[in-house]
Order: sequence, then C-alpha cells, then structure tokens
Amino acid sequence: MITLVADIIQAEALGTLGATLAGGATYWMPEQASEVAPKIDWLFEFINVICYIFFGAILILTVGFSIAYRRRKRVHQDKSATHHTALEVTWTIVPLLIVIVMFYMGMTGYMYLDTVPENAYEVRVNGQVWSWTFQHPNGAVEGNQVTLPMDRPVQFIMTSSDVLHAVFIPAFRVKNDVVPGRYRTLWFTATKPGEYQLMCAEYCGKGHSDMLARVFVLPEEEFQIEIARLAQEYMDLPTEALGYYAADKLYPRCASCHTVNGDPGTGPSFKGLWERTQAGEQKFTNGATLSQLQKQGDGFYDPAMGGVQNYLRESILYPQKLINEGYGPVMPSFKGQLKERQVDALIMMIRELETYFEPDGSFKPQPENTTPAEGAAGTEEATTPKQDGGSPEA
Amino acid sequence: MSVLSQSPSAPNLIKDRQSKLTTLHSWIITVDHKKLGLMYCLTALVFFVIAGFEAMMIRWQLFIPENDIIVTQVYNEFMTMHGTTMVFFVGMPMLTGFATYLIPLMVGARDMAFPRLNALGFWFTFFSGILLYSSFFMAPALYASGAAPDFGWFAYAPLTAKTFDRGHTVDYWIFALCISGFGTMIAGTNIITTTLCMRCKGMKLSKMPLFVWIMLTDAVLMVVGIPPLTAAQIMLLMDRELGAHFFDVNAGGSAIFWQHLFWFFGHPEVYILILPAFAIASEVIPVFSRKVIFGYPLMVAATVGIAFIALGVWVHHMFAVGLSPAINAIFSGTTFLISIPTGIKIFTWMATMYGGRLKFDTPMLFLTAFLGLFTVGGLTGITLAAVPADWQLHDTYYVVGHFHYVLFGGLIFAVFGGMYYWYPKVTGRLMSEKLGKWNFWIFFIAFNLTFFPMHISGLLGMPRRIYTYEAGHGWELWNILASIGAFMQMIAVALFVWNAIVSLKRGKVAGPDPWDAWTLEWATTSPPPEYNFEEIPTVRSRRPLWDLKHPEDPDWKYE
Repeated sequence: MITLVADIIQAEALGTLGATLAGGATYWMPEQASEVAPKIDWLFEFINVICYIFFGAILILTVGFSIAYRRRKRVHQDKSATHHTALEVTWTIVPLLIVIVMFYMGMTGYMYLDTVPENAYEVRVNGQVWSWTFQHPNGAVEGNQVTLPMDRPVQFIMTSSDVLHAVFIPAFRVKNDVVPGRYRTLWFTATKPGEYQLMCAEYCGKGHSDMLARVFVLPEEEFQIEIARLAQEYMDLPTEALGYYAADKLYPRCASCHTVNGDPGTGPSFKGLWERTQAGEQKFTNGATLSQLQKQGDGFYDPAMGGVQNYLRESILYPQKLINEGYGPVMPSFKGQLKERQVDALIMMIRELETYFEPDGSFKPQPENTTPAEGAAGTEEATTPKQDGGSPEA
Repeated sequence: MSVLSQSPSAPNLIKDRQSKLTTLHSWIITVDHKKLGLMYCLTALVFFVIAGFEAMMIRWQLFIPENDIIVTQVYNEFMTMHGTTMVFFVGMPMLTGFATYLIPLMVGARDMAFPRLNALGFWFTFFSGILLYSSFFMAPALYASGAAPDFGWFAYAPLTAKTFDRGHTVDYWIFALCISGFGTMIAGTNIITTTLCMRCKGMKLSKMPLFVWIMLTDAVLMVVGIPPLTAAQIMLLMDRELGAHFFDVNAGGSAIFWQHLFWFFGHPEVYILILPAFAIASEVIPVFSRKVIFGYPLMVAATVGIAFIALGVWVHHMFAVGLSPAINAIFSGTTFLISIPTGIKIFTWMATMYGGRLKFDTPMLFLTAFLGLFTVGGLTGITLAAVPADWQLHDTYYVVGHFHYVLFGGLIFAVFGGMYYWYPKVTGRLMSEKLGKWNFWIFFIAFNLTFFPMHISGLLGMPRRIYTYEAGHGWELWNILASIGAFMQMIAVALFVWNAIVSLKRGKVAGPDPWDAWTLEWATTSPPPEYNFEEIPTVRSRRPLWDLKHPEDPDWKYE
C-alpha cells in the first residue's frame, strides 16, 4: 500500500498536475468538453475571485489584529467604540450589492441551461439499480454507454425505474437528478470527440459507486455510421455469436446484481441458474416452488415444453411476478429496453455460461477460428435459442 | 493475624461502593440543569468518538482507489451512521448541553423553567441514541440479522421503501430520530421559557448576554424545525408498515415530497447547529479581546434575520431535482441573502478584536480559527447558491468540504473553544494550556489537511457517498491527503480527552473567575452550588461583572 501511495503522489506531482495545467482543463476543473463548460467555469471563477478577495481581507485583518493587538500584560482598561453606524451600514450594503450581481449572473446562466434548443438530438435515459440505458431515436439501445454527436445539441430525457439517481458528466458540466415517476431533461453540446465518464451522483444504494457509463462523442459522419450500426448490431449476428454478444454487451447491465461465478449478490447468481431452473429448485416468496409450477397449468413452466426459456424470459420482462426467496422485489422490468432477440441472446448466455465467461467472471471472447461466415445463419431460426421448442410468446 | 488486620477495611469498601452507587443514583434522578447539561455534553462526546471512528473507516476505505478494507454494505452503514450521529447525537446534545448548563447561570436563575422536563428531554436523547446504535446488533435486514441504517442520513425516498430496504433498519432510524426529536422539542421549549420568564431583576431583553439571545433564537428554530421531520418520518412509517403511499411513486405518491419535508427540517437544522457556535464566539472573543462586543443590536438583528431566512432556503438542496425556474430563482435569492447577516456577524467579531488587547489562550485560539474556517465554509456556500455552479458541484466532494468547514470548522471548533473556556467553571480547575495548544495546532492543521483537498476532488468531479473510485480521475492525491488528515485529527481528539481527564485532578485551581469575564456565570463559585447564586443578582448592564469590578466606570452609564 505504501509503495502505491508513493507512486500516486509521484504521478500526481509530475504527471496529472502538469497535464492539468498544460491541457484544456482550467484551474481545478476537469477538461472542458461542452459548449456550456466555459460559461459555467467563468461564473464559478467570477464568484470565486470575489470570495478570495473577501477571504483574503478577512484573513489578513484577523491575523493582523492578532499580531498588532497582542496583549503583553494583563490590562483592564478597555473603553473603545461599541458600534459605528456608518461602518455597519457599509458592511451590510456592499455585500448585498455584490450578491445581487452574483444572483443575476447565476439566474441568466440557469435560464440558458434550462432552455433546450429545438433541434436537439433526443436520447431517452433510464436509470435503474445500478445501470444506465440509453435509447436513440432510431431505436438503437445502449447499456452503460452512449454514443453522441459532436457540435450538435443533445437532450437527455431521463427517468428512473426505481430509486433516485443523477446523471453527472463532469467534463460537460451537467448534472441532473433522475427521479422515478417524473421526466427530467438536460441538454448540452459536446465540443470535443473522445470518451468521457458519466457517473451516478445521487446515492442509490449498494452499487452506487459502480453506476458508471461511458460517453462517446463522435464527429457527425462517424456518428451517423455508428448509430446505424448500433441499431442493427445484434440483428446481423449469427446464432453462434449471440451468446458472446450478450456476455459482452448486455451482461454488464446485469452484473451489478447477478454474478456469473456463484458469488452472492442483490439477485441470484447466474451460475447454475439453467440447471436450477430445469430441476425446478427455485422457491418463491409467495410460497410456491418452481417444481410445483412446472406440473401445473398449461405447461408454461414445464422444461419439456421450453419452460426454462419461458421462466427466464418472464424473469427478465416481468421480474415482479415471481420473487426468489431471500431476495427483494427490486429488479426493474426490461420490457421495451431489450428486443426479443436480445432476450434470446441473454437466455443463450445463461444456458452455457462457461462458454462465455472465465471462472473469475470475466468475459471470454469468441475464438476466431470457429466464427462462421457472416450471415451464415438466418435470422429467422436464430430467434429461438437452440432447440427445446416452445417459442416464447411475444 | 494478617487476615484480622485487614478486616477493619472491609466496611470501608462497602461504604465506598455505596457512595459510588449513591453518586450514580444522584446523577440518574437529577433535575439540576448543571448535571443535565454536563450529561448532555458527555453523551455528545461519546457519540463524537463513535462517529469519528466511523469517519476513520470511511477515510481508510477511500485512502486509495479500488480499496476494499470494508465491504460496501458496512461502508454504507458507516456513512449513514456518521451523518446521523454527528447531526442528531453530537451537534444537538452538545448545543443543548451548553444551553442547559449556561443559560440559567447567565440570566441569574436557580434552574431551568421546567427542571423535570429538562431531565425527560435528556433521557429521550440518551436512549434514542442507544436505540439507533442497537440496530447494529438487533435490526433484521437483507444481508444479515444485525445491520445499521444504510440509506444515507437524508433517507431519500424511495430508497427507504420496503421494496428497496427490507428488514427494519429504516424503522429503527425512524423511531430513534422521532424520540430524539421529542427530546429536542422539549429542550427548545424549556430554553425559550427560561430566557423569557426567568431572567433576574434588571436583565431586560436588551441586556441579555448575546449567548442567551442566540440560544433563544436557536430554540425557536428547534421548535419550528423538528416537527416537519417527525411528520415525514411518521408518514414513512405508515408507508412501510401500514400500506400508505405518501412516497410510493408506483401508487401515485411523490419521491420529491420527502425531499421537501426533509429539507424543510434539514436546512433550519444546519442553522440550529451553527448558531450555538456564534453564541460561543460572541462570549469568548470579547473576553479575550478585553472589549465590549461591537454592535450588539446589529448582532441580535442579524441572528434573528438568519433564523427567519433559514426557514426559506431549503430548496437549495434540491436545485438538481428539476423544479420550476420560479422556485429555483426564489431559493437561490434567499440563499444569497442569508450570506448578508452571516457576513455581518463575521465583520462584527473582527471589529471586536480591532483595537483590543488580545490574549491567545486556548479558547481564543479555537475561536479565532473558527472565524477563518467558518468564513471559508460560508464563501464556498455562496458559490453553491448560483444554480449553474451548483449543478456542477452538487453531490460532489466539494459540498462535503463545504459543509465540513461550516459544521466542523464552525461548530466543532467553537465547541472545543467553549469547552476550554467553561471547563474551569464546571470543574473548578483549568485545563492544561500546554496540552491545549498542542491540541489546537494539531487539530487545526489536520482539519485543513482533511477537508481542504475535498474541495479539489469535488471540482474534479468526485461524487459523494461512493464506496470506491477508479484511478485516473486525478482524485488520488487529494484522497490520500484527506485520509492522513483524518487520522491526525484522531490524535488531536485523544489529546483533548487526555487533557480533560488529567486536568480534573491536576489542573490549576480556577477560582470563580479565571478569565476576568463579565457575565453572571462567573459571579458564583466554580463549580457553582446547586442553587447557583446565594442571592439572585440584580443587573444594570450587559456586563454585570464589569460594573462590579469597576464601580468608578460602569457600563450602564453608556448603554
């Protein structure tokens, strides 16, 4: 630990600080990567300089008085002014005028930030414990990452499926709470291509510090290509690649609650989930067990009739229906956020976990030589994972 | 033979034990404001050490990136309990302790207006603290059978709903804080009645010591500020246990409603905590400057002004929620406005020092530091009042730095100064000056080392309440410095405790008036007798002891 600390101090002293001063970052603020960032920094700086002047004056006077009027021997004589009206009026009125100016500047900045330009590119943002979903106008959905155009106003229309969260992108100088049952907008114009971090800034429970997303800013043409690709991403994949796609792109949103190596989490681990479901081992908070349900009704949960897939799909889209004993009803519904093909991909991934993950839970990429030719498998067949029949109803 | 020779001592042992039991019994049944005040302060000190331990664990965890000294669950519990404890079981009992001990002495009364109620208030506070901490061992929760509250001291809905916080930690929190709230209401009512009805002959409101004036304002804020919290907590309890839907979004409730109720309590609460620091400063600074406080009437007006405006600034905790522009504009305006009376106070203390004959004993050192540190906290607060700047800084470590400068640099430094100042009155002996100076300088340096870097990591975008962070944001150095500072503060607190214990036996005998002060508490013996004054004093000015010591040039000629 000590060497690590020493390394950090050395790196700070030589690297980051130097880079901070030399790079685009102003003062102590992070890099400015949006159109509004310089405005906010200027306001902050303006208020700060006035504060420095006041603090400097107060400090100098206090220390000055402390030295100038230091008592050398005990004295009792002490008649001096007990008030001075002109002075008292001055130190009331002058700060009042200054704060009125600050208030005015703050308000104009606020109105600017609160007025979304009409041509803004709209992204729907959903926060949930503990991941982010971003939905583009063309239907492309991204999890824990978002691709955005450069030099064009972007509007986030945000809500939460469970508790309070907050979108915070320090490099863009924007932050707003994400409140369940309420839409909230936020806008900015990114000015530099690159990768930035989005963080959750409102305490939301156990995974709060892991609730991060990457923000990619691309120039307009690259952005158009990328966004078109994202909309089609999983549609073009052959069946064999779907599981890898799920493990790489979709699982990170599950990872805050569901582990793949058997460690306990907020939700049940995916490890052995397929086998448990097949055997009907799950016990639910309503007192039923899955093995009982498998024998009841029209065979919806019957493993011989695709009941495993049915159960898993239902758990993803309607998670509140059956709650595993020992867990809380905290999982948000992914209905509308995942396309049917993505749900299928997830089910495939859960079925053969060892194929897609290392024992420690990290992603195992698809081996090159087994990759079949592009488009070899028809999308029609691929909607149902492997065999077992019982295509899930929409 | 040897056995026989020892036997005569046996009755003494019994007698000793009996006398110890009697002492303990006398403290438990006491209704004396001095004993209760002392018990309030000692309770607060014990919780201060516990909350400090929690803060140490937080700082240890954040020392380096990706650290895992404690698990997330425990970290969140410590974070929540640190905040809750510091506000409700350190700040509140400490200020109530000071008020309970000093106000009757300062207004020349024999006790508080309602002595038995006073005892009830203390025991409410004491047992609610124990109830809150018993959750560590008793409260059933999701991950273990003993778990403390883990949802932050602000308990934002819907994280506290049954869906997201199973078990009963929220219920422990609700009951503990409701009971402590009753205690605070009782104390507030008692302080108001005492100051309004129990003043000695000649002490008009305009002749009251500033300490009493500020505490009176503070007590009014307590009585107005606590009920919204209690109401909100009862609503939350109904949501959780009786199936109500006040804060349940899925059934048409509102998550923001909780925030309004909580901060309508929470912001006056901040001023409830900081006003006593002003009260202590307004007593200590004049005495060690050998001058009358400058501009007494303006000071009283500023105090009352702060209390009024404090009731109308709560939405500045909610700028990022997305309320209407009109609401944000009004509350941004009031937040800027409250800096004016606060500024007046700072200028007034400085003007009191101007031209004085300053003597830097430990109490004065702490209060001078208070002046500077509180100024820093106040000025960073102005930055936060501008909505666009607040949007960048809200819920980052900048805010953590800001309010620790206000509440730690402000309240705790003033309270330490106050403890050094009134210790001789309470115990009859002075605390060691040498240890006191060590205590002060280590505390002062460590405090700045801890909390100043938080401003910078906050500006660099480090969010609050995170369990850990990735390397590469430029936050590492500032977290290391903050953690080192935190451990140094522990040394300073240990020095204080050591000083307080040792001076009890070995301190210099103080006599009734070691600082040559002017308010009535110094007119009686140290420690004061149970009845406070042999004869209820009569006063003619704000500095009755000055008049007594200088009959040739009394204050009342000028006031």
